[in-house]
Amino acid sequence: MKMESVEKPRVRVVGEEKVRIKKSFIKPWMGVKYLFRKPVTIKIPFEKIEPAPKYRGFHTLNWKTCVGCNFCGQICPARAIEMTWMEGEKRPHPKIDYGRCTFCQFCVDVCPTGALGFSENFYLTTGGLEEDLELYDWVPIHPDKVRELNEKFGDYRFPVERIEKKGDGVYVYHLRDGSRIEFKILGYGLRPPAAAKPKPAAKSSGGAPKE
Amino acid sequence: MADLEVPNELRREAKEHDMYLHPIDRDTYELFFGPQHMATENFSIILKMDGNRIEKAIVNPGFLHRGFEKLAEGRPYFTNIALLLRICVPESDVPENIYSMAVDEIVGWEVPERAIWIRTTVLEMARVSAWMFWIMGFGNEIGLYTPGQWAAAYRERFMRLYEELTGGRVYHIYTVPGGVRRDIPGDRWLRQLRDTVEYVKGKMKDFDEILFDNYITFERTEGVGVMDKRFALKHAVTGPNLRATGVPYDVRKDDPYYLYDQLDFEVPVLKEGDSLARVLIRRYELEQDLYILEQLLDMGPPSGPYMVQDARLKALPRFKPPKGDAYAHVESTKGDFGAYVVSDGSHKPYRVHVRGPSQSHGVTVLEELLKGARLADVPVILKTLDNCPPDIDR
Repeated sequence: MKMESVEKPRVRVVGEEKVRIKKSFIKPWMGVKYLFRKPVTIKIPFEKIEPAPKYRGFHTLNWKTCVGCNFCGQICPARAIEMTWMEGEKRPHPKIDYGRCTFCQFCVDVCPTGALGFSENFYLTTGGLEEDLELYDWVPIHPDKVRELNEKFGDYRFPVERIEKKGDGVYVYHLRDGSRIEFKILGYGLRPPAAAKPKPAAKSSGGAPKE
Repeated sequence: MADLEVPNELRREAKEHDMYLHPIDRDTYELFFGPQHMATENFSIILKMDGNRIEKAIVNPGFLHRGFEKLAEGRPYFTNIALLLRICVPESDVPENIYSMAVDEIVGWEVPERAIWIRTTVLEMARVSAWMFWIMGFGNEIGLYTPGQWAAAYRERFMRLYEELTGGRVYHIYTVPGGVRRDIPGDRWLRQLRDTVEYVKGKMKDFDEILFDNYITFERTEGVGVMDKRFALKHAVTGPNLRATGVPYDVRKDDPYYLYDQLDFEVPVLKEGDSLARVLIRRYELEQDLYILEQLLDMGPPSGPYMVQDARLKALPRFKPPKGDAYAHVESTKGDFGAYVVSDGSHKPYRVHVRGPSQSHGVTVLEELLKGARLADVPVILKTLDNCPPDIDR
């Protein structure tokens, strides 16, 4: 009963005279007027929802400016980011698993060079095939490419149509406009994998024999 | 078979919590209510029924399996925002804000004025959209589906505003220690917010007509689940449920935070303590929240930065506050929501404790109020108490 003794500056005790609400049989029928108004629901195949300009969707990554600092991997609350070593890249790049990602975009906030960004693309639905599920685990691609695809299609879907897994760690991203991005994944983790170690030696000895 | 020594106390307790579905005698039986039922959301109640009357109710939570407080100890400070806001889904800004306020107090940051204005506005928007969500749930429980559909449509307008401000619709991971993550996207957003507030205000009359003035609402809620003042205080009930019993306790008035000491608003109090009082209290508070939002818009956002300037924020994953602890609480639509954060100087919190309102009115009070009620009154009592199941399972 101590709480009552605290002085209350402006408290309205809603007394009986102030409760203007009286139970009524007739008033509920006033809702019928809404039958003749325009519905607020969106008819999805015929109408489109435009996401807000800075809606938090799929990531983009500028591979040139990413320094592989793993800040994004450290801040990720869902541990969705795995650093990936690729052939021809000096530093690892984040690989994002959208099965775990919560779209909080803290990784974008902490990126010291601004390499990691995000697009408004938000559709995470698949056809239910096994290879569709593998689709949402990728190293993000360049923001310009995503923007170009968005202007072409404008339906805010995932930019990659199919991820082809060849032998020897070679991955091919088949983008929606038919172009391909091909690279070889050497290993995962912060430390350079064994496959990546002889690379500087091969590079110094001359050229890039593998490409 | 070995004759195991079981203490009589344990035997009695096991008998009381007997959870097998079986007819006890011809008229007495056990009924599992939820978690598929719309009213219970994510938890269930085991009812021991005698015909249509409830003899005993045992709340059976734990369908979510989320150890928020323990998980928060293993993650860096800023990262916890993306975790803790899941404690209360309809108004996810409340857990964000209590955690951020507590960390602000530990570090000793003076949050910029603009960030405080944005935080207050976001909290009030969260309250209004949570009332809309509640109207939807309550309307569905008593069979009035139309106001629920309207409320869902009006909540959509607030979700659109959130989407433009924060980038997320339901989980807006927006308020962080030190300020907010993004600036207001321009005057257009403020105009849209004012339009939305005006729009919802204009729809209050329709809500009155179809839901709050409705004969069905009165018949279903009047005198159901009566809770007196002494009982509510004993069980640490807070929020609208407490104010419906006649205790004028509101954190925004009694322990003002953010801009609430500059705002002019009233705390409605009713004395009856039954389900009808709890329904009407929520209706009056929705009105007050719209009024607060209007005042905030008249005040306008102050200019300046929206995030505190600190060199430590350059390396967010390794951000280390000094040693210390702090408690912060806000008034949510469910009640008094608080967070206690202990820092031991490392980059992860030593302990995060959340004081949720649903533990009291969703478990102990609910079990008491359900005794002797009819089966048809269970959804009404449950929804007028308005608990948040993830908060119980935290």
